[in-house]
Amino acid sequence: MPYGWVGRVLRVNLTEGSVKREPLNMGWARQYIGGRGLGTRYLYEEIDPRCDPLGLENKVIFTTGPLTGTFAPTGGRYMVLCKGPLTGAIACSNAGGYWGPEMKFAGHDLVILEGRASRPAYIWACNEQVEVRDAAHVWGKTTAETEDVLRAETDPQARISGIGPAGENLCRVACIINDKSRAAGRSGVGAALGAKNVKAIVVRGTGAIQVADPRRFSELVFQSLSGPGGPSTGVRALQGLGTASTISFTNSVGILPTHNFQKGQFEQANAISGPAITQTALRRNKGCYSCPIGCARVTEIRGPARWSGRGEGPEYETLFGLGSDCGVGDLNAVLYGNYLCNLYGLDTISAGGTVAAAMELTERGYIPLEDLADVGVELKFGSAEAMIRCLDMMAFRQGRFGDLLAEGGYRLAKHYGHPELFMGTKGQECAAYDPRGAKGMGLGYATSNRGACHLRGFSLDVEWLAPREARLDPFVAEGKAQALKHLQDRTACTDSSGICSFIRLMIAPEQLVPLYNAATGANLSLEEWLMAGERIWNLERLFNNRAGLSRKDDTLPPRMTSEPLSGGAVHGQVVELEPMLEEYYRIRGWDEDGNPKAETLARLGLA
Amino acid sequence: MILAYPQKCVACRLCEGACSFRHEGAFQPAESRIWVHDFVDEAVYVPVACFHCRDAPCLRYCPTYAISRDPLTGWVTINEDTCIGCGMCLVACPFGAMGFHAEKNIARNCDLCGGEPQCVRICTYGALEYAEVEPIDWMARLDQAERPAGAPG
Repeated sequence: MPYGWVGRVLRVNLTEGSVKREPLNMGWARQYIGGRGLGTRYLYEEIDPRCDPLGLENKVIFTTGPLTGTFAPTGGRYMVLCKGPLTGAIACSNAGGYWGPEMKFAGHDLVILEGRASRPAYIWACNEQVEVRDAAHVWGKTTAETEDVLRAETDPQARISGIGPAGENLCRVACIINDKSRAAGRSGVGAALGAKNVKAIVVRGTGAIQVADPRRFSELVFQSLSGPGGPSTGVRALQGLGTASTISFTNSVGILPTHNFQKGQFEQANAISGPAITQTALRRNKGCYSCPIGCARVTEIRGPARWSGRGEGPEYETLFGLGSDCGVGDLNAVLYGNYLCNLYGLDTISAGGTVAAAMELTERGYIPLEDLADVGVELKFGSAEAMIRCLDMMAFRQGRFGDLLAEGGYRLAKHYGHPELFMGTKGQECAAYDPRGAKGMGLGYATSNRGACHLRGFSLDVEWLAPREARLDPFVAEGKAQALKHLQDRTACTDSSGICSFIRLMIAPEQLVPLYNAATGANLSLEEWLMAGERIWNLERLFNNRAGLSRKDDTLPPRMTSEPLSGGAVHGQVVELEPMLEEYYRIRGWDEDGNPKAETLARLGLA
Repeated sequence: MILAYPQKCVACRLCEGACSFRHEGAFQPAESRIWVHDFVDEAVYVPVACFHCRDAPCLRYCPTYAISRDPLTGWVTINEDTCIGCGMCLVACPFGAMGFHAEKNIARNCDLCGGEPQCVRICTYGALEYAEVEPIDWMARLDQAERPAGAPG
């Protein structure tokens, strides 16, 4: 068994109903670290990037990293890769919970799904046993119901990752949910699974994962848990209030996107803040597998309220998506919308962004009234009823308007002749940081290989959150390209290792590389590690270029480059994207159209 | 013994990873001697490991006298050579804290890692504590056995 890995890939041909096990390509595992990088390599090899993301040719790959399932801090992640139904670009969505480690204990590092099942199916993988089973009885059920039914008919300790009604209905903003509340959220990966007629992958395993140097690995892990001065500020914030802790900060500096990015501050931000959740809805703190941070929040709607329910969340991004971006300041409505998204399998960022776009289109009179008849309530900013109603219509493609909502904000805005009101890049909705007040984030949205995304290079770290002496002016465009490239490469490595993005708040890359080395037996220097990240980034870019994407797709909504923000510290700012993009291409070694140059590919071993 | 505080547990299972890594040399929670019982919908997470009870039922019911109390430490200890894998101790334990090694066909319990329990060491949440207390009557641990608020009946 290779260190850090099981060494085995499960390949399921759904058209034939056949399963096959093959050895993990260890050469690729070393070159691309694992998870995101490794999955990209398999996808690049096996599918034509020009294929229809919802067609037979696309494949859905579930991957883990070499640290997944170990006790490395936050070592519980898995990733889902495919050509993204929302974006037409490479999709790689990352989730925590318990599913990823269990898949490895069940004896597989990767699961590759090919073809399409003739009837709804689920995959049951338990140690040596693998079956493609009938899922007709759970088709149409929510993610939570599905999990209960499938666990009851497999193993009480089984872990389930799958789709809800949104994915079944090929909603382009559908996600994949595991452990009832953890989401591989973005790019419509849920629709890709739905297109395969696969409801879920159910795993249970009793296997082991070995590391190359147990003594050193253990030493490094315990060191990372007991750093001098205790947990970092970032970790303390996450432990105290979860990711919702971010709201008060972004709102006060003026980069909390509100009313479809028309404003950077939300009058009712306090009502949907971290303290508000803690006071009114919190049941428990929770942690994903092997996580010493524990930022998850188990919540419920209490008291006399229009809505009721229990679940996990909301995360910061959800508070923006279903909250400030739609102008909804009723925490119970956001909680309920969050629970619905988890049950239906909707990405809260893209679902929220789509509803916000619909609200602005309506307020500006761009949507004919007859199209809105099905909504039943006035579709306007601030209407909790309208937001909730739209989520229903979206997930089930109710009526003509529901059908349009299910296609995501880009196709919706384009349909009504106003694509400029879609707030995203490559068809994917922006996350909860207005780039006009963090220009590196703007470059990050524009160049993210999976469409607008805050996690591909979290430039807020260097633009706002770093100690003052290490901070880059958030309003200056110059120099952001270099900083962002470093963050993007570094994050590609973190994702690929099978650990959480928040690891950056616990340990520096200088400590992470030895941990990876001790687990796998590799002997990478920090430079070689970052170069692997750069290799992954460029391979993703190659996939996109072959899919037909280029510089024309590295854009921002015109609102962000030409309408100044008002209020807060960021008053008057727009994003100067073009000069940043030019600098970025040059630093990346890409030509003017955003294609990696031959010498760049040769340097990275991609030629 | 390991004292568990379910109120502080977040179900991250670091303890299971640390236990299996110490005893099996690999990450294999299925072989761990401590488990987090996870009642997801009720939001209740309960870590359970051997309490080394005084008047321990496992010890009393073992037909081959493979389970004894270490005279020095007071820990409940299993003799791998005389255990026949009958599973009586698993049935007898009121906490479900006795484990079983399928490959070796023997019972196994928390051995406190010889006095430096790795699960306690890795738990950053303070949900586990190592207490060098006198082994106590299992009846006195009923606070641990009682149904935590909200747990299924």
